[in-house]
Amino acid sequence: MNPTRPPEASDDRVPLFGTWRAIYGAVAACALIVMALLALFSRWRF
Amino acid sequence: MAVLSTAFATADWVVLAVYVVAIVAFGLWVGRGTRGIDDFFLAGRQMRWWAAGLSVMATQISAITFVGTTGQAYTKGMSFIAFYFGLPFAMVVLSLTVVPFFYRARVFTAYEYLERRFDGRTRTLTSLLFLLSRGLAVGVTLYAPSLVLSVVLGWSEAATIALMGGTTILYVVYGGNRSVIWTDVVQMALIWFGIFLCVGVAIARLPAEVGLRDALALAQTANRLETVDLSLDLTKPYTLWSGLIGGMFLAMAYFGCDQSQVQRYLSGRSLTESRLSLLFNAFLKVPMQFLILLTGVLVFVFFHFNETPLLWNRAELAQLVARAPAGEVGRLRAEAHAAHEERRTAATAFATARRAGLDSEPAREAYRASQLRLEHTDAEVRRLAGGPGAPVNDVNYIFPSFVVSQLRGGLAGLVIAVIFAAAMSTLAAELSSLATATVVDFYKRFVNTSGSGAHDLLVSRVFTAVWGLFAALVALEAGRLGSAIEVVNRFGSYFYGSILGVFALAILTPRATARGAFYGLIAGMATVFLVSQYTSIAFLWYNVVGALTVFVVGLVITAASGGTGEAGRRPGGVGEPAP
Repeated sequence: MNPTRPPEASDDRVPLFGTWRAIYGAVAACALIVMALLALFSRWRF
Repeated sequence: MAVLSTAFATADWVVLAVYVVAIVAFGLWVGRGTRGIDDFFLAGRQMRWWAAGLSVMATQISAITFVGTTGQAYTKGMSFIAFYFGLPFAMVVLSLTVVPFFYRARVFTAYEYLERRFDGRTRTLTSLLFLLSRGLAVGVTLYAPSLVLSVVLGWSEAATIALMGGTTILYVVYGGNRSVIWTDVVQMALIWFGIFLCVGVAIARLPAEVGLRDALALAQTANRLETVDLSLDLTKPYTLWSGLIGGMFLAMAYFGCDQSQVQRYLSGRSLTESRLSLLFNAFLKVPMQFLILLTGVLVFVFFHFNETPLLWNRAELAQLVARAPAGEVGRLRAEAHAAHEERRTAATAFATARRAGLDSEPAREAYRASQLRLEHTDAEVRRLAGGPGAPVNDVNYIFPSFVVSQLRGGLAGLVIAVIFAAAMSTLAAELSSLATATVVDFYKRFVNTSGSGAHDLLVSRVFTAVWGLFAALVALEAGRLGSAIEVVNRFGSYFYGSILGVFALAILTPRATARGAFYGLIAGMATVFLVSQYTSIAFLWYNVVGALTVFVVGLVITAASGGTGEAGRRPGGVGEPAP
């Protein structure tokens, strides 16, 4: 372990999403969609 | 005003007792066969992502978060959800940065990594700060729900502290982190069930003439549904920007540098499992908080049609009755009753107009005015009860009071068991992490460096028990500490961001030196202290200020001293494999 060296990409299989890039993208997209839905919820005329 | 029924039926006691007995038995069963501190502290590093992920979630959601969040939604609306906006992004950053570094270093504590990267002094200081803050906070973790539950259930505080603390200490001392994680899984499943149950009950208990849409329309008119505030005002606590930026820094500090969370994902059986345990939370945390806040909002609407007590905290109410000038409480009762009746009538008229397809705007305005009048009366009651400048804050009593007074057939016992579960899961993780930092960062470095596996395991169990007893002692004395509790809660916010800054220096800047990190940390804490004392900036920004100050000061000191990264000259430093 080199404490200052950037970590290597994990060789393990990433469930469902296939790659780490995909899962990180999904987290960010999901967070943005949830915030948009919350804003919509607040402004919706019930 | 009505006095809420607080009778806990036999079925409720049975459900609560079954929960307590079952969770302790389960904790002891899964913790059998624990050998060595790797097993005791990190569950043998064999946990699957979903188990570690649920444990991360259970550790974060404490009892007071559960009852406090619903109470906050009742009184101020859903704006608190912004607190969690930065969390998903923080999880991604942590998965990319600290998690791989910690996991591959095979460390027990986050602070152990800092010795490999910088020096022993930085490790000792950061671990000590963790022990100080978490050690005091663990008492509050136990005290706060005990206080609420003792009032609601009619127990003494000592009895509630003994039940929650004693049972948790028992299975954590015996089974260590494996017991913590598996009981967290069960407790988190129970909490999720409880959340859905509460939302369902709150909807079902609305009057027949008020549907869910009507209830949400009432809540919206009373400003209880605001979630995304675009204001750029740095003094407002929960805006989109403080939540996204300040909340992200806070979440990075909490999940990346606080041992109570780091220990959860270090128990993963692979780096992938550790990362997934955090990302699992990134998906679920905000929706979960939304449901909890929605429960509080629905309870708010429910009490439009059912009378509320003058104060939710019966102990405070009794004091008010005993202390207030003759006739004053009676006058306030009559005023609050009239205001409540006016609001009930206005809310019903608003819902009826909506259902009949009539113009509901006049009814909406009448309802809004009645809500403001009731809020004014409530504020007057709380000012009178608390004295000048310090109105009584009893928001934490609202949800438990609703549960105990309105749920039947054992459901009240089940929801109180959920609150117990939330408290015990947080307490268990905190005790385990405090013992880990004490043994790994101090005992094995300064007291006994060559103990056998059996000796280390025994010492680890002893320290777990000692921290448990310390938590119980702080909880028992907390009532007398008064405002010291608030000081304890604020204490962590002074250096959370600063510790994050040290880890950022360690991981992002190969040239940063131990001297830069150490003095940067001190500068960061001092800056946050000054900002908190002399500005009105909201607390979520403290973490940003602390982290950036440490980072900049650390780099400046490194450059000024001509440093090239002291880590490179030590075993485990740049260019050499870690032990």
